[in-house]
Amino acid sequence: MRQLAQQLVNGTVLGATYALIALGYTMVYGIIQLINFAHGEIVMVGAFGGLTVFRYWLPDSLASTPWVALPAVLVVAIAVAITAAVLMERLAYRPLRNAPRLAPLITAIGVSIFLQEVVRLFYPGGKRQQPFPSLISTGTLDVGGVTVAWVSVFVVVTAIALMVALQLFVKATRMGKAMRATSQDPETARLMGIDIDRVIVLTFVIGAALAGVAGVMQGMRFGQIDFRIGFLVGLKAFTAAVLGGIGNIAGAVVGGFLLGIVEALATQYVPHGSSWKDVWAFIVLIVVLVLRPGGLLGERVAARS
Amino acid sequence: MRLARVRRTGRGRWLVPAMVVPLLAAACGGSKSESGAGQAPSKTVKIGVIAPLSGDLTAVGTGIRNSVDLAVKQANTSNKVPGWKIELAAEDDAGKPDVGAQAASKLSSDPAVIGVVGTYNSSVALQVAPILDKTNIVEISPANTNDTLTRGENFKTSPVRPHKNYFRVATLDSLQGGFAADYAFNDMSAKNVVVIHDKKAYGQGLADSFKAQFEKDGGKVATTETINPGDKDFSAVLSKIKPLNPDMIFYGGEYPEASLISNQAHGPQGIKAPLMGGDGIVDPTYGKTAGPAAEGDFGTSVGAPPEQVGSAKSFIADYKAAGYPDPFSAYGALAYDAANAIINALPASLGSATRVNDTIRQAEINAVQQTNFSGASGAVGFDNFGDTVTKTLTMYKVEGGNFTPIKTGEFKG
Amino acid sequence: MTEPGPGDVPERQRGSRKAKSLMVAGAGAVLVGSLSPWATFAGFPGKMTLAGFPGGARLFCLLATVGVVLAFVDVAGRRKATLAAAAGVLAVTVINGVAIAKQGGGPATVAWGAWLTVAGAGLVIAGAIVLPLDRERTDEWRALPPALEVTAISASLAGLLATVVWGLGINESSRFVSFLTFVAAASVALHHLGVFSWLATIWGRHSRVTVVLASATAAAFPFTQHGNAYWVRVFASIGVFTAAAIGLNVVVGLAGLLDLGYVAFFGVGAYVGALFANASLTTVHIHLPFLAVVFLGGAVASVFGLVIGTPTLRLRGDYLAIVTLGFGEIFRITANNLDGLTRGPNGISGIPDLHAGTFNFGDTHHLLGVALPGFANYYFVELVLVGAAIVVFTRLNDSRIGRAWVAIREDEVAAAASGVDTVRLKLLAFAIGAFLAGTAGTVNAHVTTQVSPDSYTFAESILLVAAVVLGGMGTVPGALLGSAALFVIPEKLRSFQDKRLLLFGAALILMMRFRPEGMVPSRRRQRELREWAPRGRAGATGAPPGPAP
Repeated sequence: MRQLAQQLVNGTVLGATYALIALGYTMVYGIIQLINFAHGEIVMVGAFGGLTVFRYWLPDSLASTPWVALPAVLVVAIAVAITAAVLMERLAYRPLRNAPRLAPLITAIGVSIFLQEVVRLFYPGGKRQQPFPSLISTGTLDVGGVTVAWVSVFVVVTAIALMVALQLFVKATRMGKAMRATSQDPETARLMGIDIDRVIVLTFVIGAALAGVAGVMQGMRFGQIDFRIGFLVGLKAFTAAVLGGIGNIAGAVVGGFLLGIVEALATQYVPHGSSWKDVWAFIVLIVVLVLRPGGLLGERVAARS
Repeated sequence: MRLARVRRTGRGRWLVPAMVVPLLAAACGGSKSESGAGQAPSKTVKIGVIAPLSGDLTAVGTGIRNSVDLAVKQANTSNKVPGWKIELAAEDDAGKPDVGAQAASKLSSDPAVIGVVGTYNSSVALQVAPILDKTNIVEISPANTNDTLTRGENFKTSPVRPHKNYFRVATLDSLQGGFAADYAFNDMSAKNVVVIHDKKAYGQGLADSFKAQFEKDGGKVATTETINPGDKDFSAVLSKIKPLNPDMIFYGGEYPEASLISNQAHGPQGIKAPLMGGDGIVDPTYGKTAGPAAEGDFGTSVGAPPEQVGSAKSFIADYKAAGYPDPFSAYGALAYDAANAIINALPASLGSATRVNDTIRQAEINAVQQTNFSGASGAVGFDNFGDTVTKTLTMYKVEGGNFTPIKTGEFKG
Repeated sequence: MTEPGPGDVPERQRGSRKAKSLMVAGAGAVLVGSLSPWATFAGFPGKMTLAGFPGGARLFCLLATVGVVLAFVDVAGRRKATLAAAAGVLAVTVINGVAIAKQGGGPATVAWGAWLTVAGAGLVIAGAIVLPLDRERTDEWRALPPALEVTAISASLAGLLATVVWGLGINESSRFVSFLTFVAAASVALHHLGVFSWLATIWGRHSRVTVVLASATAAAFPFTQHGNAYWVRVFASIGVFTAAAIGLNVVVGLAGLLDLGYVAFFGVGAYVGALFANASLTTVHIHLPFLAVVFLGGAVASVFGLVIGTPTLRLRGDYLAIVTLGFGEIFRITANNLDGLTRGPNGISGIPDLHAGTFNFGDTHHLLGVALPGFANYYFVELVLVGAAIVVFTRLNDSRIGRAWVAIREDEVAAAASGVDTVRLKLLAFAIGAFLAGTAGTVNAHVTTQVSPDSYTFAESILLVAAVVLGGMGTVPGALLGSAALFVIPEKLRSFQDKRLLLFGAALILMMRFRPEGMVPSRRRQRELREWAPRGRAGATGAPPGPAP
C-alpha cells in the first residue's frame, strides 16, 4: 500500500512534467496541425538559458539566495525559450504554411537536430552533462512513509498553477477566444477579423514559456542537464498529448499525468518493468485510441483534413 | 537578326580556344609540384582512430582521439620512426555499429593505414574487428571489455581467439566485475545488494560477472533491475528497490545514467546505500553532475591510478601542455598507450619499405603481439588472446566530488 | 536556337548589349583568376600557389566560365542560369578564400587570383541582372531522331555516374564543399535552361531503354572503384536503405499514412534473416535457403504490418503517426529484452556470407580485369531487390489500387463515399510497405553480418521518412535520390566530424524551405502545389487525381 502510494507520487511528478510539455505540443497542433518535434528542444534550450543566468550572470551571494535565484533562472529560461520558439516559427515554419503536410514535419526534425547540435557545439562544456543547481531545498518530506522531495512538491504545484492559468486565459480572455476560434476554423476566424499570424505566434510563445519552466524543472529534479534532455521527454509528452486527445488542453494534462502514473506503476508491478515501461505506456496509448479514436478527451468535431 | 550578327562579328570566336587551353594546362599541370611545401619525410603511414566523436559519448571519444593525436605528434617530433611521417586518421562511429563499420571500411581501404586505435563500444568493435581483420590492420581498443571479443562466443568453456589483429589494453568484464564483487563482499561487508544495468553489451556483461562472483562469495543479490539508457527519471525503479534495504547498489552501465541514479537515490528517494560501478562511471563528470549525492560511491577502473605511475605523470603534463580544449577523459591514458604500442612496433615492421603493404601490416600485427613497455596506464603487453597482460584493477571512491583511488589489486578468479 | 519573339527584338537587344560586355569581361576575369594563384603559401589542397594550373576548387570556377556562351544565345531561362552559375563561382571562391585565410592566418594570405575571381563573378552577376527578363519557357520538346535521343540518354546517365565518382574521389573537405556548390549551381542553371525537363521528356519517351541503361549504369558503379571497398560498402548500405525507402513511399507517398516506426519492419526482416541464416549465434537452429528467408522475412514483416494496421485503421493521420512510433519503440524494446530469441542487446552476430554453389558472396572476385570487393556482390543483389521494389511501386502507382490510395490520401471521407474500401486498401498499403522493408532487412543482415536492437531506433525511422520527403513523395527517383543523399552526404561530411549533424539539420531546414515538394516531386503533387499560383496549367495533361472509377 505504501509502495503504491509512493509510486503514485513518483508518477504524478513525472506526469506533471509531461503535461507541461504536452501543452505546447497540443496547442500548436490545435492551431496549425503541426507535430512540432522541435518542442522538446525548446525545453532543453530553456534549461540552458536558466543555467547560464545562474552560472555566469548572478553574483555568488545572489545565486545562493533562492528567492532571487529561482525567479531569475525561471524568467531567463522562459525568455530564451520564447526567443527560440518565435525565431523557429518565423524562419522555419511560417514559410511552409502552404507546403505539403509533411514538409513542416521534416523541418521540425531539422530544427530539433540543429538546436541540439548548436548547444552541444557552442555552449561551454556542452558536450558533457552540466550540473544544474537545485535552487530550493534538497530535503525530503515524509508523509506516512512516503518520501516526497521538496523539489517534487514545487514541480507539481507550479505545473498545476500554470495549467489553471492557461485554462483561464484560453477560456476567459479575448486572445484566448481568438485562439479557440482559429483552432476551430482558421479561414472563418480570419474573416471575422482575427489576426491569424498573431494567434499562431502567441501559441508558440505560450507553449515555449511552459517549456522553459519545464526545462528548469528537469534541471532542478535531476541536478544536471545536457543537450539531449529535450528529445525523449518531448516524445513522451507528444504521446501524452495524443493520449488525451491532441488539440485539447485538458486532454494534454490528463494524458500527461496518466502516462507518468502508468510508467511508475508498470515499473513496480510488472516483472522487469523498468525496461518494459515504455512498452506499457504505448500499449495504453494504443488501447485508448482503439476504444476512443480521438483520445481520452478528444475533440467532438468531425475530422478536418 | 541581331543574334546572328553578334556571332558573325566574331567577338565570341576566342571563346572556344580560351576554354580549351586552360583545360590542357590543367591536364599537364597536375604533375607540377608547389615550391616551398615542406616534404622532408616523403613516406607516410597512418594510424586510424575509431571512436564516438558525435552523439552522447562525444566527451569520451574526443579524449581518445586527442590522446592518440598526442602520441602521434610526439613520435613525429622525436623522429621515432626515421624517414616516416605518421598521420592521424580519426573517424567517428557515433557509438553505433553501422557507422563504425563504415568508418572501418574507409580506413581499411586507405593503403597508408597500418593500425587503428578503437573502438570505445564493444558492440561497435564486434563489427569493426572483422573488417580490419580482412585487410590485416592491427586494432587496439582502449576501452572494450566484452569477453567475446578476444575469446569467442564460448569464452567460459572453450576460448578461441576470433581475430588475430585485435588487441586491447582494457581489462575484461569478468575480471572487473569479480574484483568489484570481492571488494564489496570482503572490504565493505555488503551482504545484500541490488544490481541495476542498462541492458547494453557492456553494462549487462559487467553486471552478470559481478553477480556471479558476489553470489559465489556468499552474498545475496536481492533483485536485478534494468533501465533504458537515455532515461532521466529513475524514481520509480528506485522506489521499487528501496524496501529491499540493500547494502549497496551495483550499476552496470555508463556515467550519464549512473550519476542520475546516484543523485535520485541519495537525494529525493532517501536511499543510504552507496552506488558502485565499473570503469564506465569513473569519469570526472560523474562527481560533478551527481553532486553531493555521489559522495561515498565506488567505481572500479583498469590499471593502477595514473597519479601513481611515473609515466602517467608525463602524459598528463604533456596533454595539458598540448592545449587540447577537451579533457583526456577516462580512456585517454589507455588510448595513448594503445597508440604507442602501434608506433613502437613500426620501426621493426616497416623496415626499409617505401610504402605500407599487406606484408608490412602482417609484420605489424606480429610486432604488436610482442609489445612490452611501461605506459601511462602501467605495463603494456598482450597475451595469446590479445588481452592485456596487466590484470591490475583499482577501486575508486568518490571523495570531495572526485574519484580517489583506495585499493589497487588483481582479481584471481 | 529558338528565335526571339518578333515584337520585342529591339528592346530586348538594347538591354543585352551592356549585359554582354559585362559578362564577357567578368568571365574573362574569372578565367584569368582561376588560372592564377589563390594562396600565398604552399600546402593548401589543389596546389593553390601555382599559376596556369586550375587545381583544386579553381577548376570549378574555370568550368563555370563556359556559361558565358549564354550572353550570346537568347535561350529561355538564360538570365537565371547565368545568375546561378555566377553565384556558384562566387560561393566557391568565398568558401575557399575563407578556408585559405583560416589556414594561412589572415586575409593577406589569399592571393590575387581569388580576389580577381570574386570581382569577375560580381561582374557576371551585374551583367546577368542587366540581361532582359527571361521569356516564358514552353516545355513542349520536339522529338529528335530516336538514335540521337538514346545517345543523349546514355550520355546523361554516364555523366551522372562520372559526377558521382568524381565527387566521391574528392577527399579534402574544402574541395568537396566546392564540388557540392558547383554541382548545385550547375543543376540550378541546367534546370532553368530546361535541360532537365527535356531529359525527363526523352527518358519518358524511351522508358524501357532508359530502364535498361539506368540499370547498367548502376551496375557499373563497383567497376569504377578499382577494388576499393569503402564506397562499394556505402553503396551496398544505400541499396538496402533505398529498397526500404521505396516501401515507405508506398505507405507515405501513395496512401498518405505517416509511419514513424517503419524501421521496425526492416528490423523484423533483419532478425528473421539472422535467425534462419545459420548464424553462429542464432537461437533458432533451422537453416533455410536465402531466397526462402527473403520471402519469409517479407512475409513475417507484413504480418506485423497487418497486426499494427488493424487496430489503427480508424485513426486519423497524425494519430497513426504516434501509434506507429509507439510500435517501433515496442519492437526495439522487445528485441532488446527477449534474450531467449534475440539475444538482447548483444544481438545476433556471425551471420555468414551468402553462397551460391561454390561462389562466396563475401570474397573479392575479378571481372573484366577489375577487382570487385565482396560488397559488390551484395550491391548487385540489392540492385535486383531495388529493381523489384521499383516494379512493385510503379505497377501499384499506375493501377486502380494506386489511384484509390491517392484518393484516400487526399480525402478519406470522399474516397469512402465514392466506394473505395478504405479499410482494406490501407491495410494493403501497410502490408506491402512492410513486405518490402522486410525483404530489405533480410539482405541487410548479411551485409552487416550482425543485427542488434541499436540499429532500429526512432532516429532511423525518421531518417527513412526524411529520405522519402526530401527526395519527393510518391516518386521512385525521389526515393532513390533521397536515400542516396542522406547516406552519401553524411559519409562525405565525415571530415567535418563534429559539425556534421549540425550541417545535416540545417540542410533539412533549408531544403524544406526552398523546395518543400522534394528534389523530384511527383507530377500529381506539383500540380496540386501550382494550384495556388494563378498561372498554373493544372489538369492540362493526364487524368486529374481522383477516386477510382
